Amino acid sequence: MARDNRGEEMDEFARGRAAVGLDPENSAIDATRLEDGTMELNMGPQHPSTHGVLRLVLDLDGEVVKECRPDIGYLHTGFEKSFESHTYWQCVPYTDRMDYLGPMLNNLGFALAVEKLLGIEVPERARYLRVILSELTRVASHLIWFGTSAMDMGATSPFMYAWRERETILDINEFISGVRMHTSFIRIGGLMADVPDGFVEMVQHVLDTFPKAFDEYELLVTNNPIFRDRTIGIGVISREDAVAYGLSGPSLRGSGIPYDLRKAQPYCGYEEFAFDVPIGTHGDVYDRYLCRMQEMRESLKIIDQALRRLPDGPVTSMNRKVSPPPRNEINTSMESLINHFKLVTEGMHPPKGTTYTAIESARGELGYYIVSDGSNRPYRCKVRAPSFSNLAGLPSMTRGHLIADTVAIIGSIDIVLGDVDR
Amino acid sequence: MGGHGVTEGREAAVSEVAGSRARDLLRRLMPASILEEHESCSELTLVVDRSELVEVVKLLRDHHEALYNLPVLVTAVDYPDREPDLPRFDVVYVFRSLPFNDVVQIVVRVTEQDPHVPTLEDLFAGMDWHERETFDLFGIVFDGHHDLKRILLPSDWEGHPLRKDYISFGEPVAFTHNLDWALQEAQRPDTMPGEME
Repeated sequence: MARDNRGEEMDEFARGRAAVGLDPENSAIDATRLEDGTMELNMGPQHPSTHGVLRLVLDLDGEVVKECRPDIGYLHTGFEKSFESHTYWQCVPYTDRMDYLGPMLNNLGFALAVEKLLGIEVPERARYLRVILSELTRVASHLIWFGTSAMDMGATSPFMYAWRERETILDINEFISGVRMHTSFIRIGGLMADVPDGFVEMVQHVLDTFPKAFDEYELLVTNNPIFRDRTIGIGVISREDAVAYGLSGPSLRGSGIPYDLRKAQPYCGYEEFAFDVPIGTHGDVYDRYLCRMQEMRESLKIIDQALRRLPDGPVTSMNRKVSPPPRNEINTSMESLINHFKLVTEGMHPPKGTTYTAIESARGELGYYIVSDGSNRPYRCKVRAPSFSNLAGLPSMTRGHLIADTVAIIGSIDIVLGDVDR
Repeated sequence: MGGHGVTEGREAAVSEVAGSRARDLLRRLMPASILEEHESCSELTLVVDRSELVEVVKLLRDHHEALYNLPVLVTAVDYPDREPDLPRFDVVYVFRSLPFNDVVQIVVRVTEQDPHVPTLEDLFAGMDWHERETFDLFGIVFDGHHDLKRILLPSDWEGHPLRKDYISFGEPVAFTHNLDWALQEAQRPDTMPGEME
């Protein structure tokens, strides 16, 4: 279609307006005064507080939000379609890129689902390392939330401190996998490789230094009167609403529901570790804040226990139809060579079946619904993204609050738009 | 943490097969509603009739022995090559019961000609977005939804990408076996070789 630049621009804008139920013709200005005196205001997608590309259309009465309509899909990449044309092991790197702040947790969810279809168990050492790595990832993800959500409310120092601590965890990622963020370290059947010497010391350093850092954060923020004023009683979602919207993770627990998949339906042997599930009482921004702050400390408890009990042994399944044989075996055994060739060229073939396997990611219930038709590619893979459901609860949380509070509320549900849009 | 209780979490025993609580209840109270049962990886999938979907989900949500109160996901699976007597789409619902710590998968089958399912928006506030996503990507129509429109894709997008006949990958590449096609394409001034029609 031939259009001049100006016409093309207008068309894009009109399309965006139509997507959120606005008049597509009225594209000249962002804010429109409606007949009843309220104003429609466009917020995002490039707003600094939207953590990526989230667009909100707000109906305002003065500064009070009467209605909030999120417009999502700016980061939609069609991962679920791509999964269908890739073999199972080729899908693993895609999972990193969905919730890009919790890559290991995404890898883990996918690996567990496929392992369930295959009916295999991973070795003990892999299981313990998976627990350590997913808890480190949870802490790293919560640190970003802590820094950015405080910054949304005008406090810039916590951001710098949180980034300092997160860096230590990214260094561990880089040390073990060579990559800081999209590690793809947790694989179907175990891990990419065993952790190198020095890993334990690095994690121990995290355990030694982080509690002091958390104390520092709490000193800065938790009892800060401005922060408390901005968060207490803001963005309340009741227990009933939180459940009906399908909220999960700290956003659900902040409303007082002690549901954590690590406790409720343990995977990776979480039942062996002693830890608490912090819950809130009022379901406001402050409660969700307290939950996440406490969760980071609980994660450290789990890491500490796992590190002390970390067994020796292999880190990938011995099932040669699932994980490739070690190099020295390929040199000496014809069968291993064949297995290796088959795995690289074809991949694994889980039997026919379906599974819905969910884990507790940093944001809530991350589930993979996989339909296998017996071939080497998933017939269908639906990702149940926690951020998607959590964001669906945003309109009900923002109703009746100020625009400035909307910013605080978005921060408190800790969405990642890559996870929302997939 | 003044006033913020820290609990040990819920440690209810996980039932042997996920979803058996829902199956037992439905067998007892609405035996005709279950068309098929499938078990895979210790998880139950209940295929129910479209006309009874709302009643079934309402019962599972409200009955004191079930309380499947959290909507986990809605999606669909496309089987274009299924046996002719079976409908093309499986619309999949997953519900979680927080009090009983159980998950159930409910499937409703719809045909390509009549891809309609009643909306569950009135039962769960969170269904709104899930149903819109399934409409967007599969073209399943949720009857009674207050505002059924695309959610992830732009509003003027054509087609439903997660249907199996929507090809988004694997455009033809010039090889010896399709040399005629490649030469023909190369002569057309407005397209590059390998570009789809």
